Amino acid sequence: MPESPVMATDADEQLVKSTLRGNVASFGTIVERYWNMVVALALSKVSDPAEAEDIAQESFLKAYSQLSGLRDPSRLAGWLSKITMQQCSNSLRKTVRYKKALGCRTAPIETLDEQPAMAANPGLTQNQIQFVRQTIRRLPEKFRTMIIMRFVANCSTVQIAEQLGKRPGTVRVGLHRAYKLLHKDLAPLLEEVEQL
Amino acid sequence: MNCEKNKKIILKLVDGTISDEQLNELKTHTETCESCRVEFERCVLLQDIVKHSLSSQTAAEQAGAAQVARLSEGPNLRMRPVRYGTALFAGRRAAIAAGILLAIGLFLGFTMGRVGNPGQIHLTAKVPISAGKIEGIVLVRHEGSDIWQPLDAGSNIYLGDMFHSTARSACVLKLDDESTLDLNQNSTLILKSYACPEPGRRNGQTQFFLEHGECTASLESHHGPFFINTPNGRMEALGTEFTVKVTDE
Repeated sequence: MPESPVMATDADEQLVKSTLRGNVASFGTIVERYWNMVVALALSKVSDPAEAEDIAQESFLKAYSQLSGLRDPSRLAGWLSKITMQQCSNSLRKTVRYKKALGCRTAPIETLDEQPAMAANPGLTQNQIQFVRQTIRRLPEKFRTMIIMRFVANCSTVQIAEQLGKRPGTVRVGLHRAYKLLHKDLAPLLEEVEQL
Repeated sequence: MNCEKNKKIILKLVDGTISDEQLNELKTHTETCESCRVEFERCVLLQDIVKHSLSSQTAAEQAGAAQVARLSEGPNLRMRPVRYGTALFAGRRAAIAAGILLAIGLFLGFTMGRVGNPGQIHLTAKVPISAGKIEGIVLVRHEGSDIWQPLDAGSNIYLGDMFHSTARSACVLKLDDESTLDLNQNSTLILKSYACPEPGRRNGQTQFFLEHGECTASLESHHGPFFINTPNGRMEALGTEFTVKVTDE
């Protein structure tokens, strides 16, 4: 994740140039930097974490093959987010088609076990994580991308605005609205977690 | 610090524009204000919850290494060639647009040409000369066309027409009711210009070009200036009948 806006932007441009010169390791650094953001974006569209990681991998491969088409390397994160969303749509279309062909149905949330989710997040159960993901999924896509870039990729408002080609004021308003929606919908969960 | 201002600072925490000084002020305020403390803690918790709910099971370093390995090994994964700037991209688009316009222009030109000038016949004006008696095979080619057509008796004649009589062939061109031009065998004649024979409408002169062979003109007196050009010289009709012959000698 970018530590400083200026440093991150410079590093992105350098990494892109280096990758275009044939240095694959530089692209590895790009993947490391934006892996969590891309997976989070995928998880905000699909429910299966394994599928989300597959989408993330495919998104990075597509980004690699099309890197020469990136006009402004300083907007790498925004470009990656668009590719990821596109890959998610493609994946969802395929999944729907396969499920229709096979007559399958998605497993309901109630069937998920109640065991704690991950070592990194001992406070939330799988059900609670699914609930949070579903709540995020219900957000409008423009808010979803902003919230993920802010909370997961730790980008500032100015950085998000630069990456998405929007004005900082628009991003700020979007973040506030998204926060209020999440705050309202996740209020029971927040209370539950606070009591633990 | 009042609670209303505190709420605005919490929103700054959300959008990441909060300064260290504001954060410290907020923390100090939450020590004494229970509602603001709850709000502040919920904001931080919500951010953590969102981050952890959307976290990957694979570490970023591991994912990066896996991608590098895949790209290094996969021979099918090739980067697309670098585009050399927007100018070339725009140039390519302009070239495509120019090509389309050229194709449309050619198509329209061809269509209008076909409609307006069928067989290129009307490139020149029709003249009141007609083909009379024809012996053997006499060919005619209209100006602007590459096609030789057999000349039939009574055919219309146009300015610029080229006549060619083959061996043992001859034809008569009726210039008007009483004037004729006989084209003998193995001759090539071109109608260069034509003057109206009527005295009131007479203008210009009638000119033929005898490239090769022999022709005989029989003219009435009211006919306008009449010339037969040859590669070797120009003859004007003064009498009523004369013969012009062009040979290789």
